[in-house]
Amino acid sequence: MLLRNLTRTTSFRLVLLYVLVFSASVLALAALTYFVATSALDQQIRARIQAESDGLRDEYASGGVAHLMSAVEERRRGRLRDGLVYAIFDAHGHRLFGTLPNSSVVQGWSEVRGPPDGDEPEGETERLAVLGLKLPGNDWVLVADDIGRVNVLGQVVLRAFGVVVLLSVTIAIIGGFVLSLGFLRQVEAISNTAEAIIAGDLRRRIPLRSGGDELDRLAATLNRMLDRITNLMESLRQVSNDIAHDLRTPLGRLRQDLDEVRRMPRDSAEYERAIDQAVRESDEILQTFGALLRIAQIESGSRKSGFGIVNLSELVEQIADTYRPVADDEGRTLVTVTAQNVNVEGDRELLAQMIINLVENAISHTGTGTTIELLLERSGDTGVLTVSDNGPGVPDEELKNIFKRFYRLEPSRGTPGNGLGLSLVDAIAGLHGLSLEASENTPGLRVTLKFALVDSLEPASV
Amino acid sequence: MKLLLIEDDAQTAAYIVRGFEEHGHVVDHAKTGRDGLFLAGSESYDVLIVDRMLPGMDGLSIVRMLRSTEINTPVIFLTTMGGIEDRVIGLESGADDYLIKPFAFSELMARVQALARRPPLSKSQTVLRVGDLEVDLLKRKVRRGADVIDLQAREFALLEFLMQRAGQVVTRTMLLEGVWNFHFDPKTNIVETHMSRLRSKVDKGRGQALIHTIRGSGYSIHAASEPN
Repeated sequence: MLLRNLTRTTSFRLVLLYVLVFSASVLALAALTYFVATSALDQQIRARIQAESDGLRDEYASGGVAHLMSAVEERRRGRLRDGLVYAIFDAHGHRLFGTLPNSSVVQGWSEVRGPPDGDEPEGETERLAVLGLKLPGNDWVLVADDIGRVNVLGQVVLRAFGVVVLLSVTIAIIGGFVLSLGFLRQVEAISNTAEAIIAGDLRRRIPLRSGGDELDRLAATLNRMLDRITNLMESLRQVSNDIAHDLRTPLGRLRQDLDEVRRMPRDSAEYERAIDQAVRESDEILQTFGALLRIAQIESGSRKSGFGIVNLSELVEQIADTYRPVADDEGRTLVTVTAQNVNVEGDRELLAQMIINLVENAISHTGTGTTIELLLERSGDTGVLTVSDNGPGVPDEELKNIFKRFYRLEPSRGTPGNGLGLSLVDAIAGLHGLSLEASENTPGLRVTLKFALVDSLEPASV
Repeated sequence: MKLLLIEDDAQTAAYIVRGFEEHGHVVDHAKTGRDGLFLAGSESYDVLIVDRMLPGMDGLSIVRMLRSTEINTPVIFLTTMGGIEDRVIGLESGADDYLIKPFAFSELMARVQALARRPPLSKSQTVLRVGDLEVDLLKRKVRRGADVIDLQAREFALLEFLMQRAGQVVTRTMLLEGVWNFHFDPKTNIVETHMSRLRSKVDKGRGQALIHTIRGSGYSIHAASEPN
């Protein structure tokens, strides 16, 4: 199974194709070398025979058969012979010298099988190329040489190339297997992770190797995608839980109230009061529902497409203008210090809602006489927005919880509110990539938002 | 007013039709986009109330089609799609206003009336008058009779919005959208806070009050005791 999978991987197929092309070219090279080498050797051998034959004709011309005989004898004995084979026949076909058979007594080139001389390939007889020359006196002189050497050379060439091809094919196949095995393992890991996720284990992620090849990059991207999906699902699940738990209570209360009114006849003023009460309660439920949906919508990140450059200085001023009278009416003082031309990339409306929720939170969770500070500062290329009060504050151990949905400090349970205001702040800050932090203001609560400043002239990046 | 309501949900439609009829208006009701488009093209209405999600032909297509055939009857969308992009897309299609379900009938009523009575964009009018109250939009000066009234920027914007719709009911949401450009509902009633400051400057101790609270609906500025 693994083998079948291996041979089906792209990398294995690529290696195989490469090997085929490589082998074909090696074979073509082998064929060329073979022909060039063998024909060169063949020509060389025949040229030597021809030269020798010419030489012997001259010997014959200068002294007849006897002279020829002694010249041949001398060559056979001396160093001049050098592998050549000679034979002399008279005009009647009698052999005067040598061992070549009668059949080779023909004018021009012929080929005969000779006795083995040790260098011929296994199972083959010695092959001799013979040049027959009819001398003026009808005598014959034959010069021959071992032409088998040509084949031997050819075979050496072929064998050498064969070894090369065999070696490279072997190495390539092994390399292909190794490469494909790594590839396949990672694909297997991705596939296993996907299977595990399908089976319900949403926390599984693809293990990353150290190599950092394209598959690893793909795996890393897939992991990031899975993180995002998990986050979205998590917030979706959170919303459904919230709706299930926290909307049931007010709905139940609404139903109780209506039920109570219905139990006995009442006068019209009582009915009117009850109806107003019911409308108010359902409005509150709708508001909570709307806030939950808004948080979910923001957390899903779909609003990012509408981002532009927002002049936070102007926005903060506008909100301060709007809330200063509100704070006055409530017996609080709203103090604002705003640095000019602080720009941030984002959604104006959401940023407004975020700041407003912080200010409203400060107003509603403090007593009269409290001073609330709304500060917008620049710190290098970072903008800092702080909303702080000198009210009762939040206990240290509770600070980390205040951005959770439906979280309300015990003492504030009696005051109106749905416990979603700061969750919305958290969601909006998250969407904008702002760092959000709640801290002790000794006394009071301080919420700090830090963000990257943008140049107002620079168009928003898409 | 003669209105056309294009809405597929029978209960919502009945609620809206009854509401307008109680106030003496005529409402034609179409259940599908096709019927609605036909009626809008063949009859003359003051305002079209269009649900965005309809079977067959949706609200966006209806409005686009109407606008492409030069039918410029004001349109208000009713929708459960409350996202900002949804609103932007809705308004870009050619609708004039956008109201998110669920809504109070008084809100719809005020908005429909505002659309029906929309003045022919009198941008050239730089001085607005109601009774003896005078607002100069260019000089940004407000006078009541002989007295000059000093207003904060937000209060001025609020008064300007009311004056441009003198005699009409303006809801809290319309003010939030029009004056603050907020399409969400802050927990604090900022409209009420600023309105009460505006009133104390414009009306307090001046005999006849001009800014009126319309119970359960919103506010209205007019010289007579009741809006029509």
